[in-house]
Amino acid sequence: MAEVAEPLTDYSEDGVDLTLIRWFLSFTPAERLQFLQDQIDDIVAIRERNASR
Amino acid sequence: MPAGRLLGTLRALSAGNVEFIVVGGLAAVLNGAPVNTYDVDVVHSRDAANIARLLPVLQDLDAIYRIQPERRLRPTESYLVSPGHQNLKTHFGALDLLGTIGRNLSYEDLLPHSVEMDVGEGIRIRVLDLETLIAIKEELGGEKDRAMLPILRRTLEEKRKLSQTPQQ
Repeated sequence: MAEVAEPLTDYSEDGVDLTLIRWFLSFTPAERLQFLQDQIDDIVAIRERNASR
Repeated sequence: MPAGRLLGTLRALSAGNVEFIVVGGLAAVLNGAPVNTYDVDVVHSRDAANIARLLPVLQDLDAIYRIQPERRLRPTESYLVSPGHQNLKTHFGALDLLGTIGRNLSYEDLLPHSVEMDVGEGIRIRVLDLETLIAIKEELGGEKDRAMLPILRRTLEEKRKLSQTPQQ
């Protein structure tokens, strides 16, 4: 009999990824701010590299 | 544009002893919600002494209105004491100074619903709590606000579960 794979995701009924929330909640507010800044910097850099598209 | 823009804005306001509460998407992030935002939204105290502290900070930040940036319109005392919204850009990025939010909620109204957070470099700021952020977005009911609500609600649930978990 085939082994049933353990589900390694956790979504709420309305489709929110709870693993992402739990991971983000493990950060301090200062780390959350830095994470957001890093994301913004990355997105801006990608946009600049693709400015003509 | 200088690095560390979000923290730079908060550092400038804090160093100027400006009384403000972070709201909006950044408040959601600081409360642990995994969402993206590109500006700093704050509700400032419209008390005359606070406006007097805020104006030189805005001058140092080279704050101008984002609408018609070529005119380089600067926020003045008369605008900052109003309950309206000042959508500015500074050398650290977008900064929205909000006289009131939701149903005319002012800094004084929101203060009991804010928490103090350390955002690095010893900078301590007040941030709107998640419960109030959700309540205001539910009231506003705009498309953008509704879109963020599921993540905010689930984040609040997870935070409550964490607070009920005994510390090891």
